[in-house]
Amino acid sequence: MRPLARPLSFRESLLGYLTYLNRALKANFAYKASTFLGLFTSGLAYGTSVLIWSHVYGQKGVSIAMSRRAMFAYLALAFCLNYALSINIDQRVGQRIRLGLIATDLLKPLDFQLSQAMQALSDCLFNSFVGLTILAWVFYFLGGQILPKSPEALGLFIISLFLAFLVQYSIVFLFVQGAFYTYSGYGIFASRLALHQTFSGFSAPLTLYPPVLLSVGRWLPFQHVIYTPISIYLGNVEGAAALRLLGEQALWGLGLYGLGYFTMRKALGQLEIQGG
Amino acid sequence: MESALAVENLSKSYQRRLRQPGLLGAVKGLLASQFEQIQAVQGLSFSIGRGEKVGLIGENGAGKSTTLKMLTGIIVPTGGRLEVLGRVPWKERRQLALNIGVVFGQRPQLLWDIPVQETFELLKTMYRIPEDVYQAVYGEALRRLGLGPLLGTPVRHLSLGQRMRCDLAAALLHAPAIAFLDEPTIGLDLSVKEQVREFITDIQAKFGITLLITTHDLKDITETCDRLLLLDKGRLLFDGSIRAFEQKYASDRRIVAETHKPVDPSAAQSLSRDIGNSGGKVVEAGGHRLVVEYREEGAAPTLIQLILQQFQVVDINLEKTDIETIVTRIYRQPSLPE
Repeated sequence: MRPLARPLSFRESLLGYLTYLNRALKANFAYKASTFLGLFTSGLAYGTSVLIWSHVYGQKGVSIAMSRRAMFAYLALAFCLNYALSINIDQRVGQRIRLGLIATDLLKPLDFQLSQAMQALSDCLFNSFVGLTILAWVFYFLGGQILPKSPEALGLFIISLFLAFLVQYSIVFLFVQGAFYTYSGYGIFASRLALHQTFSGFSAPLTLYPPVLLSVGRWLPFQHVIYTPISIYLGNVEGAAALRLLGEQALWGLGLYGLGYFTMRKALGQLEIQGG
Repeated sequence: MESALAVENLSKSYQRRLRQPGLLGAVKGLLASQFEQIQAVQGLSFSIGRGEKVGLIGENGAGKSTTLKMLTGIIVPTGGRLEVLGRVPWKERRQLALNIGVVFGQRPQLLWDIPVQETFELLKTMYRIPEDVYQAVYGEALRRLGLGPLLGTPVRHLSLGQRMRCDLAAALLHAPAIAFLDEPTIGLDLSVKEQVREFITDIQAKFGITLLITTHDLKDITETCDRLLLLDKGRLLFDGSIRAFEQKYASDRRIVAETHKPVDPSAAQSLSRDIGNSGGKVVEAGGHRLVVEYREEGAAPTLIQLILQQFQVVDINLEKTDIETIVTRIYRQPSLPE
């Protein structure tokens, strides 16, 4: 009879999560056609947005507190960030809860929240690798490169990008838990997406928002997924103000991750998986 | 014997939404929901020692899978106490996971989009499986379950039987202290079922794994287990050895004799009187066939002697009701026997 296994050490756990990340990344490559279709339709949405703003800028008597060039740079970056940080675990987990497959995820010796974070990270790495490689060429041929304002801006942007992932994942994970109550991921996914598209700054810089929406958006974490990293990248926010924004991002990210940890315990407590 | 798991007065109930039929019913359901309370498991108490091999049977909806889900920590009991390897499963699920292996026959644990071999390697790292243990189980899986040709195939391209075999190997790869196998042979053909049972038996014997198997195929139990738990409507109806189960519920034993000449009805009546004191009863006497039914274990020699005294017998067979028939009869009774 084998002796009982001792708990995993930090290093062993880390190795487990990294192997999980590696396998999740490989699984992402399994559906090439779906990936390219998604990229194509996302590109169409971006093209539509550019056309609409071109039309707005072309109207006589319309005054916008942002140059045409700055707007298009913003839109291009927003599109890239949005694509790179697309995380679909809410749909995936929702479906697994509905079919009861979540049981097999919960039986692994890994923390569910952290292993889903690895899944999300694999989504983002995959999107960045496949999507951004193509998009960089598209933007290059369309209108030149969009460079960061300075090396410092680039450095701060990289930190902000990491924090943007943490905020985005923590938001998604909180929404995912809704599926433990509703047993379907679709409504959860749709509502999270609607809030994200409204308040993240995906379709336009937040500074152009009407005051009511802007003040609501300031109290929500979504701005830190897209608007904050781009503002830092373009140098719209610099120095102490940029560091303050990074602090806000970190607070939101860690706070929501911690909240997700506690709410998950409650969500798991009422999970029902019926049938054999 | 060291305890592997202990369950005391365990219960689980949940609410089920009632849906009215038709489109109108679906619309009504949006406005006002009705629920019914389902008592899936009630007052369940049993314990299993380390290395025991136990089968958990019961009709559909008897509470077998719910019990297994509580034992593995996936769902939280409504009441009672349970401990698996000294841990409360739903509170310490992740720590417990290192020492248990689980197969949910209808819910594969393999990663859907990557080859089987990659899942095995992931599990090897994830469970920190020592090389010798990994090689022993992996080698046995290749040999017994014929997994070799499947290793490079993404799981989504496997047939049900292939996937089940891979899933079982994955669940036992870390030679867990306890294996919970929920319908491990569901949907498999007879030859694959046999392979699966042999694999389970070999690995169990090699590592002293405690087995708890739920199944509707009683051959899984008779070939791999020593002890049986029978559940009915969430309650434990029987807990004991398979032999004790047969003794308790298998009332019918038969002696079937083939006679040289056609059976004389008056001789059959005479035999019936003679064997009455030994607990036998003639239930069939016609043509060249004579069937005597009895209940008492050990009565056969006396009964056979009496038959041979009165008839010229060319062949004789002893028949005992098989476990499958016993269980089917139990399920069919409106109120199950205590």
